[in-house]
Amino acid sequence: MEKLLEVKNLEVSFQTYGGTVKAVRGVSFDLHKGETLAIVGESGSGKSVTSQSIMKLIPMPPGRISGGQILLSGEDIVPKTEKQMEKIRGKEISMIFQDPMTSLNPTMRVGTQIMEVLIKHQNMSKTDAKNRAIELLRLVGIPMPEKRVNQYPHEFSGGMRQRAMIAIALAANPKLLIADEPTTALDVTIQAQILELMKDLQNKMDTSIIFITHDLGVVANVADRVAVMYAGQIVEMGTVDEIFYDPRHPYTWGLLASMPSLENDEKAELAAIPGTPPDLTDPPKGDAFAARNQYALAIDFEEEPPMFQISETHFAKTWLLHPDAPKVEPPEAVKKRMRQLSSTFEKPVVVKEGK
Amino acid sequence: MAEKLLEIKNLKQHFNVGRPNMVKAVDGITFDIYKGETLGLVGESGCGKSTTGRTIIRLYDATDGQVLFEGEDVHGKKSAKELKKFNRKMQMIFQDPYASLNPRMTVADIIAEGIDIHGLAKSKKERMERVYELLDTVGLNKEHANRYPHEFSGGQRQRIGIARALAVDPDFIIADEPISALDVSIQAQVVNLMKKLQREKGLTYLFIAHDLSMVKYISDRIGVMYFGKLVELAPAEDLYNNPMHPYTQSLLSAIPLPDPETERTRRRKSYDPAVHNYADNEKLEMREITPGHFVYCSEKEYNELKAKYAK
Repeated sequence: MEKLLEVKNLEVSFQTYGGTVKAVRGVSFDLHKGETLAIVGESGSGKSVTSQSIMKLIPMPPGRISGGQILLSGEDIVPKTEKQMEKIRGKEISMIFQDPMTSLNPTMRVGTQIMEVLIKHQNMSKTDAKNRAIELLRLVGIPMPEKRVNQYPHEFSGGMRQRAMIAIALAANPKLLIADEPTTALDVTIQAQILELMKDLQNKMDTSIIFITHDLGVVANVADRVAVMYAGQIVEMGTVDEIFYDPRHPYTWGLLASMPSLENDEKAELAAIPGTPPDLTDPPKGDAFAARNQYALAIDFEEEPPMFQISETHFAKTWLLHPDAPKVEPPEAVKKRMRQLSSTFEKPVVVKEGK
Repeated sequence: MAEKLLEIKNLKQHFNVGRPNMVKAVDGITFDIYKGETLGLVGESGCGKSTTGRTIIRLYDATDGQVLFEGEDVHGKKSAKELKKFNRKMQMIFQDPYASLNPRMTVADIIAEGIDIHGLAKSKKERMERVYELLDTVGLNKEHANRYPHEFSGGQRQRIGIARALAVDPDFIIADEPISALDVSIQAQVVNLMKKLQREKGLTYLFIAHDLSMVKYISDRIGVMYFGKLVELAPAEDLYNNPMHPYTQSLLSAIPLPDPETERTRRRKSYDPAVHNYADNEKLEMREITPGHFVYCSEKEYNELKAKYAK
């Protein structure tokens, strides 16, 4: 499959009064055409900063891309100027934000907000753009688009606004769509509709999607591949089956075990991950997760673990995969979901270059 | 089952009464809450679940209906003294741990506010000891007492909110989406804390949320609300295994589960209120289909459901 996006060793930091916050610390991944990559992690793990860096939306200063490359169709966008980025934003890459209440302009008609993209990026005439806007609203499932196109955002419900956002994002047929928690503010029933809509549109337009969320249920629903982020780094990455049925990193175990399952009838205590994420002005030595990790080894506090490869597509950054590491049992709730996957290598392999 | 702590009878909360934009946020709901149980209340935003909670604790004055706490009506005329007594027994934990703590008060003052109002501490020393004890109960430590809310993370703030609610030794706590604003790994910590406190202090909870998997985990019984009405009320297990009202079925079918295989084969049901096809003269009310399992339905539906589920 063709690679659309390659992020190589990305580092992003912010200058604050408290010191430099290293929000993203060496993140690498790639994204194929038509694929959905979900990035999960808690607030402050760097998932939103990573995605905003791809669009170069982080405020600079205080933010700074201090290292690495972002290759979009083979071309590095890190050195690009603001003017050049304007041609890319909305056209090549577009974004759906978490809060549809604040990300639409309340003083502009919804139709005008869609037309703006079309007129700017596709040089359409006003009438053509308006017709296309109506078509797009119909595409995202808004009833009576001819009427809706002339309405203001406050006349739309939350779910409808998010649909309008998606229509704006897709107006110029972008190759890459970044969805930053697009359903978090919505009700489950509306969430299900929006997820179905996104999948449907992806099939039609062959867009790649980076989907940022902390809801593992949503991840299981939409993702082809999953990257788990912790303290500015990707700690585990694999196909959706590998992450849910054969997780290897203790943080991924923790996330999976802390969710109550619907089928589970027992009322045992939830396996919470103790403590809080580390302060990234001064990232801890060794493995950033060590202090909250019940499986932490002595070396975790000394040296940062390398990335191990478990299958063609599955990577995890934990010393537990080292041949000399003691064998550990994942928590009960995780053991229940473990399966033997055919693609797994016999032994984990250390990946030399920072993957 | 145990004795009733709270009886809610035909509670109505309408806003903008008499004007054309009147909203029937809560439209005649009836249920009981038993001592020591957790009752979960779920539904979409705007269905009236938060309004129900806020009306029960009298943050709003009810338009109609009764809330009986240990047999005593909460609404209606009350002297300041009576209200105070009542406020001690019922406390609330709010959704947004950022907005619900006064940013200009120290944690100690926030927690001790209830202690001061109700005169529960005789000396300064006793007051501080009580604060330390509460901080310890919710998993924070002494040093936190003199800090301000902005110095804490979301999960820690929610713990402060819980400590504040516990300060006056209440019997009943209304938790309005207490974990929605928190990260997954922190949600479990707060839920575990709430369960622990319930075991130790025999608390009764009304747990309002839209995250159904968490509600099922924490609740003994669950009520489902739709447009200001309670449409189904059942023991938690029973509701998940045998959802009877079509709205509950649609709600359950929409929850994404952390399992890729079930997600690939998911079939979502949608709810259309027209399926009921109620005639004008049909009387709609909560009817018990199987023991403890109530559904809001007409006589005709009742007979159908009864035939289908009660064997």
